[in-house]
Amino acid sequence: MSVRTASLAATCVAAALALAGCGGGDKQSGGGGRAVDVKLTDAGCEPAKLTLPAGPVTFEVVNDGAEAVSEFEILEGDHILGEVENLAPGLSGHFSLTLKPGKYTMYCPGGKTERGPLVVTGTGAKTTAAGAAAVDRYRDYVEAQTAVLVARTREFAQKLRAGDLGGAKAAYAAVRIPYERIEPVAESFGRLDPDIDARAGDVPAKEWTGFHPIEQALWVRDTTYGTGVLARKLVGDVVELRRRARTIELEPAQIANGAVELLGEVSKSKITGEEERYSHLDLVDFEANVDGARAGFDAVKDLVAVDHAALADRIEARFADVSAALDSYRSGDSFVSYSELTKADTRKLSRAIDALAEPLSQVGAIVAGQ
Amino acid sequence: MSRPFTRGRLLAAGAAGAGVALGGVGIERLATEGDDDGAQIVPFYGEHQAGIATPAQDRLQFAAFDVVTSRRSELRDLLRAWSEASARMSAGEQVGENAHRLAPPLDTGEAVGLTPARLSVTFGFGPSLFERFGLGSNRPAALIELPAFAGDELDPDRSGGDLAVQACADDPQVAFHAVRNLARIGRGVVVMRWSQLGFGQTSSTSRAQDTPRNLMGFKDGTNNIKLEDTAALAEHVWVGPRAQPAWLRGGTYLVTRRIRMLIEVWDRASLDDQEQTIGRRKESGAPFGRRGEFDRVDLTRTPVDAHIRLAAPTENGGRRLLRRGYSFTDGMDEDLGQLDAGLFFVSFQNDPSAFIEVQRRLAGTDALDEYIKHVGSALFACPPGVRRGGYVGETLLS
Repeated sequence: MSVRTASLAATCVAAALALAGCGGGDKQSGGGGRAVDVKLTDAGCEPAKLTLPAGPVTFEVVNDGAEAVSEFEILEGDHILGEVENLAPGLSGHFSLTLKPGKYTMYCPGGKTERGPLVVTGTGAKTTAAGAAAVDRYRDYVEAQTAVLVARTREFAQKLRAGDLGGAKAAYAAVRIPYERIEPVAESFGRLDPDIDARAGDVPAKEWTGFHPIEQALWVRDTTYGTGVLARKLVGDVVELRRRARTIELEPAQIANGAVELLGEVSKSKITGEEERYSHLDLVDFEANVDGARAGFDAVKDLVAVDHAALADRIEARFADVSAALDSYRSGDSFVSYSELTKADTRKLSRAIDALAEPLSQVGAIVAGQ
Repeated sequence: MSRPFTRGRLLAAGAAGAGVALGGVGIERLATEGDDDGAQIVPFYGEHQAGIATPAQDRLQFAAFDVVTSRRSELRDLLRAWSEASARMSAGEQVGENAHRLAPPLDTGEAVGLTPARLSVTFGFGPSLFERFGLGSNRPAALIELPAFAGDELDPDRSGGDLAVQACADDPQVAFHAVRNLARIGRGVVVMRWSQLGFGQTSSTSRAQDTPRNLMGFKDGTNNIKLEDTAALAEHVWVGPRAQPAWLRGGTYLVTRRIRMLIEVWDRASLDDQEQTIGRRKESGAPFGRRGEFDRVDLTRTPVDAHIRLAAPTENGGRRLLRRGYSFTDGMDEDLGQLDAGLFFVSFQNDPSAFIEVQRRLAGTDALDEYIKHVGSALFACPPGVRRGGYVGETLLS
């Protein structure tokens, strides 16, 4: 998992280093949409209610001296569409969304009134037929992967219940794959991703649930003992993930940027051996992340190839390079243990990901609004 | 505010997908228009590449890359993109203007608001580059790996490379920004092989500059070729107008040596020992038996194994190098718990044999050997300067 709470959503983190990339002052968003000023006060969001026409909008958020509020989110149900966080008094930030007609919530946690309504009127910018087809393709992928995830998680839980250590270990590797393929989707549902996929230290110890405490029991303590409660919760969480994934609203640009995030996950936690620190199955997750990125790119590829055929070709070639690099570490129907990789191995894999992610990061802007 | 892409312009429209501005105020130009940027700009375009016979800046970021593509056209496209980006960055501009909020910014942004800082970017081609792309017949005969010298302890991970990028600037962040953005542009076509940060010049390259001191505390580069001395540059640095291969005319050869100083050992050597080792007085920089730094060296009073004696052109058939090195430190040597610091030696010469001859004399004989170790080494051919609209290496690849 990543520490960010909202992927597939426009996120803005007020890290001091992030400041130069995005200044204020300009009221035109990239898509020519409108800009809306929002103030964070101790009372909550200001304005407390908002009505907007459908289409692209940039929220320019400034903390006007609020001590209690440092975050602004736009929610659809409990799904985060976009947010800025860590806005200390005096700081400002912004994010852009394309809003469809409907009812949303502005959320300023910590304020006296935390929630206010956002009503979006009109017909909205129409997604093109090709854009809609891209979204459908990716939706089908997510549906298929979440179905596999639920089925495999149930099998995994069964092995744990039966005290079958070897069987549970084998099932663990299999169940990680569908999850890692669609991780950005999971990350857009608030607590679900940390509940399912947090690593030790990501969350307070007593809130640590999901795959990784079970992984620790299986590989470090060599037992299935004590995993019952964790397994039951995990099954419930992946069922919930599947239910919510069906309702998620997606745009082609989100799918493309989700693909880049998956490669970011590889760079950040797989190539370093952090994700599967007990089982050392990191290359399994590595491939699953790349598969997921590939599926995202495949979904929107037609939108790219129209005007940017050379870019699409380059991305194809670099996906092939990554596959070729991974192939040398296959072992049976899985991969060698991460602990067997040398520095030269991880460097080679890391560079293949960087070479792919750079051109892939251009896709989001190209498919936006299609 | 008419110049496009200047670093100082607000990075507002289409900067990133989302972001934060301190205090709600955009990132303003720190140096306003009309400031004396001119004096801080080293032109990228010209007869010779910048960063060779232009005054040495305070900081260095050097990077060697290996080419991973097998397509010559991709190499050419890269050199074109690198040249354009370098020209912009040298002029204090951003690499490009941001086109779309949903796309990553074209320029990484950390040099916004900084001055051009006399940035120069210099490119070189290593011997290994010519083993591919059908370039074999264009390899200059002198462009072969440097021979092994006595006492070398070279680390292959800090040596060699297909391409060299030397970024020098008065501001370390400007130099870093240049290499970072070039590495990013090259992703998928080249991979970084090694990189070296340098601080503090160890050779003056202009009569207007005082002679700097290296980490041994001695003035270094007193008798360096100065850029005002165009005759010496023509004789010793630039590849001449009738030389072969023709693509290198107006270019030069670049030697780098990462020379680790055994700081702890040096620091406990007596002043007398230190001065005998170098062959100059530590404080004044004067040769033995003389009063001033620039006084002529009296060989009869200089120890036979003193560094300056063995390195002096008069002892080496009159051949001279244009030195442009920097001090470095990479923190602590993990194995020994000692400072990892020394001299990143950089020299330019129109024939690598000039360096080779000097180094042959020094290695194994130089009193200084007791206090240093050569741990990295590379040789590159630097093509001539870039004309406006052209790209570096055009004479080789077009």
